[in-house]
Amino acid sequence: MTQYLVSVLTEGAIFGVMALGLNVIWGWSGDFDLAYYGYVALGAYMTLVLTIGRQPPPTQYILGLTLPYPVAVVGAVASAMFLALVIGLIALRHLRGIYFSIVTLGAVYVLYTMASQFVPLFNGYQGLSGLVNPMADVLGIDFNSYQYFLLGLAIAVFLLVYLFLSRVSSSRFGLALRSLREDERAAAAFGRDIYRLKLKAYVLGAAIGGLGGALFATYVTAFNTSAWAPLETIVLYAAVLVGGRGNIRGVVLGVFIVIVLIEESTRFLPEIPGHPNIVLALRPIVIGLALILFLRFRPQGLLPERRYMDPIQEKAKQELAT
Amino acid sequence: MHQALLTLGFGLVTAAILSLSAVAFTLEYAVTNVANLSHGEILTVGAYAALVVHERTGSALAAALAAAAAGGIIALAMHLAVVDRFIRRGTPTLVIFIATLGLSFVIQNLLVIIFGAANRAYSIPSGAPFQLGPFLWTAVDIEIIVSAIAITAALFVVISYTKFGKALRAVSQNRELARVSGINANLVASATWFLAGLVAGYAGFILAESIGTFTPSFGFGFFLITLTAAVAGGLGRAFSTMVGAIIVGIALEFFGGYVSPGYNLAFAFGILALVILIRPRGLFVNARRSVFE
Amino acid sequence: MTTEAPAALEVRGLYKHFGGVRAVENCSFTAPEGKVTGLIGPNGAGKSTAIDLISGFKLPDAGTVIFGGKALEGLPPHRISRLGLIRTFQTPREWPRLTVLENVVLARWDQARETFWRGVLGLRQGQREATIGELAEAREILEQFGLMALRNERAGNLSGGQKRLVEFARIRMAQPQLVILDEPMGGVNPVLGERMALAIEGFIAIGTTVIVVEHNLPFIERVTDNVVVMSQGSVIASGPFASLRSNQAVIDAYLGEMPTYEQPSA
Repeated sequence: MTQYLVSVLTEGAIFGVMALGLNVIWGWSGDFDLAYYGYVALGAYMTLVLTIGRQPPPTQYILGLTLPYPVAVVGAVASAMFLALVIGLIALRHLRGIYFSIVTLGAVYVLYTMASQFVPLFNGYQGLSGLVNPMADVLGIDFNSYQYFLLGLAIAVFLLVYLFLSRVSSSRFGLALRSLREDERAAAAFGRDIYRLKLKAYVLGAAIGGLGGALFATYVTAFNTSAWAPLETIVLYAAVLVGGRGNIRGVVLGVFIVIVLIEESTRFLPEIPGHPNIVLALRPIVIGLALILFLRFRPQGLLPERRYMDPIQEKAKQELAT
Repeated sequence: MHQALLTLGFGLVTAAILSLSAVAFTLEYAVTNVANLSHGEILTVGAYAALVVHERTGSALAAALAAAAAGGIIALAMHLAVVDRFIRRGTPTLVIFIATLGLSFVIQNLLVIIFGAANRAYSIPSGAPFQLGPFLWTAVDIEIIVSAIAITAALFVVISYTKFGKALRAVSQNRELARVSGINANLVASATWFLAGLVAGYAGFILAESIGTFTPSFGFGFFLITLTAAVAGGLGRAFSTMVGAIIVGIALEFFGGYVSPGYNLAFAFGILALVILIRPRGLFVNARRSVFE
Repeated sequence: MTTEAPAALEVRGLYKHFGGVRAVENCSFTAPEGKVTGLIGPNGAGKSTAIDLISGFKLPDAGTVIFGGKALEGLPPHRISRLGLIRTFQTPREWPRLTVLENVVLARWDQARETFWRGVLGLRQGQREATIGELAEAREILEQFGLMALRNERAGNLSGGQKRLVEFARIRMAQPQLVILDEPMGGVNPVLGERMALAIEGFIAIGTTVIVVEHNLPFIERVTDNVVVMSQGSVIASGPFASLRSNQAVIDAYLGEMPTYEQPSA
């Protein structure tokens, strides 16, 4: 039982990191980016190719180094940021709304196709594996306790990202970014460089996504294209939307509801003979329905975005008293 | 040269299917201003409906009709249950766009529950390919091309010359104005989606025939190519979309001939990205566009 | 037209065509510093397009705009804004999910305090003090506009007239050299007109030059020192409002009749 709990919490923390990154791009900057999971995937792949060294053919992939784990993670995040910079430079210059979304959808499909078809890149459909218990020997963790270490690591990373974003959110940068989402023209009329701000947010979000991907690869010890249906992004979007778009506490709540509750609850449903697919297919159906229903009835999510509440001062108190 | 013409011939088959799918998508967009991300699922539903009917009746014709009917029904259901409700509430189109993505998820997986995720195929014999001019086509290929032309011609007549077509054009240009002039915009929108669904459902059937096998997600993959054609033609403009579809369909075939067909989607999106970046209003519209203009 | 004051804004020979439509054609006028200049004309005269061209939201096909002595050669809107030219839009463009106070505080652009790294590392001592001072200023301005009680409301929940006041508060906060008001009275209860007129006087008092685009001619008469009349893309007349009443070109442009000024029933 504890093992189950440990894995659920670890997954929750990892997806929480991913969702927080998405919140920067969609919740704060207002861009419906369908390429997001591509950054997660790239983070996962890069973490693997930077740590698993060279495996014998027919497995093919680029690099194949055995860097220390933290260095590999930094490399993974950096590559996600670079990719986001390239895509963002093109897509954010002139495109908004559905045109932006469609181009990002296109970009992620191109990436997906390259990853699955171009074998020398990341070993095609087979993907990569072999990242077993990084840092175990360095820190002296035995095989059985490793899951606890991973849980601790995931939660630590999650908390760091959360606190980091909390600061950013309440800063003037965060406020300016959200004004872009609210009304671009007005933001430009008041001196904000829309392109630059959005690009920064985009790369930041992608960096966090890449970090989530790195953690994911560590947790699963492997990664391939079946873990990466481009529509995985939808699950993250559902989490951000349901919980509260723009509100990082809401995002945490959303991750809990969508990913932990829904994914895990369907795991306990009984198998119906003759229809082996029901349980597997039920999760995306519930998520898709949740997405539609929330968009219709509660688009701000369960926890609406926080605002600065100016405290009542003496003068104002007097005013209200008279 | 011979090889090129052969490839062109295959490309025309793809183009035929693509143009039907793209025109249907464009009709949906024109009349509701919504880019329907679950459009591909209309094709998939059509393909499965045809499968069921064909397994029972053995008639390809019945299967084709069933595909169209199922497509029409599911498209109408999409419109009434989801899209129209958002529109009545005045929801921004980007939000509806996201909702249709959720809808795509739901429909694909419902199909998985009903039919399973495995490949299915029709037992419709395609016949041996034979020489027709410089092209090498099977009987099915010819049926596809001919029926696509016929349906397109029928659509052209309906849109240009009937009362309904006029109402459709009015609603697509300016919904409020059309309503004020006495047109029941909601009815026109619903009818248009039904019509688009008929066409898309049939497109799903011929696509499945052409490829040979299909799964619950095959419509979505094809939809992405449809999107390329629709955007290249200019969102909401039915006939230039068709030209766009023909160009894309043929280009894809040539590309697939030189590079592995697995990269088709990537190529399609490469085209799409280029089009959107250079001429976002479509290849046939001359409009320079910045964020604010 | 006599200009005692130097020109805050000089527009020379602006052209903008859209396909076959000539929206702005050889449009030229000046806005003297420290004065209120009105910009009027019938619908389709090209006023809004001219504003877009001046503020950088559209690129002119030809012509120059000189602001503060500098030619604004195809600068993007945020650059022009940073030089001290701010404009409003025909519909109120508040930031709906931000509070009224946040809306006003954000009106001032300060690159040093707005960077990402400042967001992460926190503000320096001097910057923190500046922020506190700014908040106090913002509250005072909200007080002046009667919005203090609404300061924690999300701006999107306000009425149309209140949103316009928020926009004015933003401008007051930003203290630009020049502000262009694009139809501020649009969709607003005429009762607010006097309040707006006072707000405009307040802008002048702090050294901001004002250009007002309006259809509401009594309002124009009330607030402006000088009026520029546009029709079919170009300027056909300019001068104090009273002088335009008898100007034949202006009368023709309005199809024979300028809407008569009626005393607002108090």
